[in-house]
Amino acid sequence: MSALVLYDDELDEDCYRVRLFLSLLGVEARRVVVDVVPGGEQDSAAFRAVSPAGVLPVLRMDGQAVCGAQAVLLALAHGRAEWLPEGAADFARVVHWVQFAGGPLRAALLMRRASLFAGVGDEQSARRRAAVAALRIVEDHLAHRWLDGGQWVVGEGPTVADIALFPTVALCRDWGEEHSAYPALRRWVRAVRALPGFVTMPGIPDYG
Amino acid sequence: MSVTGEGGWYPLMLSADLAPDTTAGSTMLGRDLAVWRDGQGQAHVWDDRCPHRGMRLSLGFVREGALACLYHGWRFGADGRCVHIPAHPDLSPPGTIRAAPLRVAERWGLIWAAAADEGGALPEDDPALAAVSWVPVRSLRIEAPWQGVAGAIGLPEGELAAVLDRDVDGRVLAALLPVGEGACMLHLLAAELAEVARLHDLADWGQDVRARAEERAGQVFLAGAVA
Ligand code: FES
Repeated sequence: MSALVLYDDELDEDCYRVRLFLSLLGVEARRVVVDVVPGGEQDSAAFRAVSPAGVLPVLRMDGQAVCGAQAVLLALAHGRAEWLPEGAADFARVVHWVQFAGGPLRAALLMRRASLFAGVGDEQSARRRAAVAALRIVEDHLAHRWLDGGQWVVGEGPTVADIALFPTVALCRDWGEEHSAYPALRRWVRAVRALPGFVTMPGIPDYG
Repeated sequence: MSVTGEGGWYPLMLSADLAPDTTAGSTMLGRDLAVWRDGQGQAHVWDDRCPHRGMRLSLGFVREGALACLYHGWRFGADGRCVHIPAHPDLSPPGTIRAAPLRVAERWGLIWAAAADEGGALPEDDPALAAVSWVPVRSLRIEAPWQGVAGAIGLPEGELAAVLDRDVDGRVLAALLPVGEGACMLHLLAAELAEVARLHDLADWGQDVRARAEERAGQVFLAGAVA
């Protein structure tokens, strides 16, 4: 692989998804900082030339700009069977959860953005209920996995599905959801944190 | 067994959900708690307030048999006394700097805390409970008043835990933690030797209980596309 370039915003959980995965893989990327808050740089002509829809993160690899966390995670996981299983059934399960992270679970990401950056305190909003419901879908899945002796979202070890889901779950305290309400998620967060190469971002405690 | 009100005991969480050397949060009738387990396996329950600046101890971590606060690293031993202040490592902290421990008991696969310093001991000889070894299934947060959930699953009046007459190899232990006015945690355990398929059934039943209780309370949680 030629040198990787990551267009990155420190406070953005989508960017953290990719930083975390790169660190777990032990892969280096040159970082280009994009100042979203307060700079609004994602809308600058220079950045739009890289990411036409203004989507972060972007990973430039082999001459291609790959835009958006789910796409970048899958592109990085390609050819690494331990992170993206090759068997059809497990592959399907993994991409199902990667899609979930970029779909229904976005309600939680939007809740966090609203409470951190817009100061919106809408505890009982439809958005909060959709965000809680999405967290519960992951919680229920992991509770059932645990009954089968499974610790991870799919299969016997961590996959790119775990990495796609992790930041949103780990950061839910930022919008008022306590991990004490989600015992299966709490257990799984601890397992992810114990992976070699794990890194945090602001909002995720670093026990040093 | 556990009775609500003065001197009552509350089932905070499944024992299995508190690994050695870890911390967790819990809320008992609006009272925030830090729950942690030391390296010897002993569980501790304290008010979730650091004696230093009042930050939440449940966000901390366990180091050398003590609970370390995330914020400035003060450490508190099993009796709640401060044992270490990183900014003053040579100082032996005065005994008055102390976290507030609650009485705690571990029975039937659950961690219990007492709401008051005095009052009823947790009986150890409830024959229906003690005769069985309980396998943890799961806990669920339900956003509905706990009284309604207690009634719906058939807990006897005034009890927060009971063996339910459900068909999971005969016996199910359900325990309910009132979190606040409109929320509770339901803990489910099955009698030992239940088949794994039955454990899944019981976990699904918990989800049904949650959905129906929340619907009655006018809280419907539906995932989907949102703006
Ligand atoms: S608030 Fe806990 S150490 Fe300062």
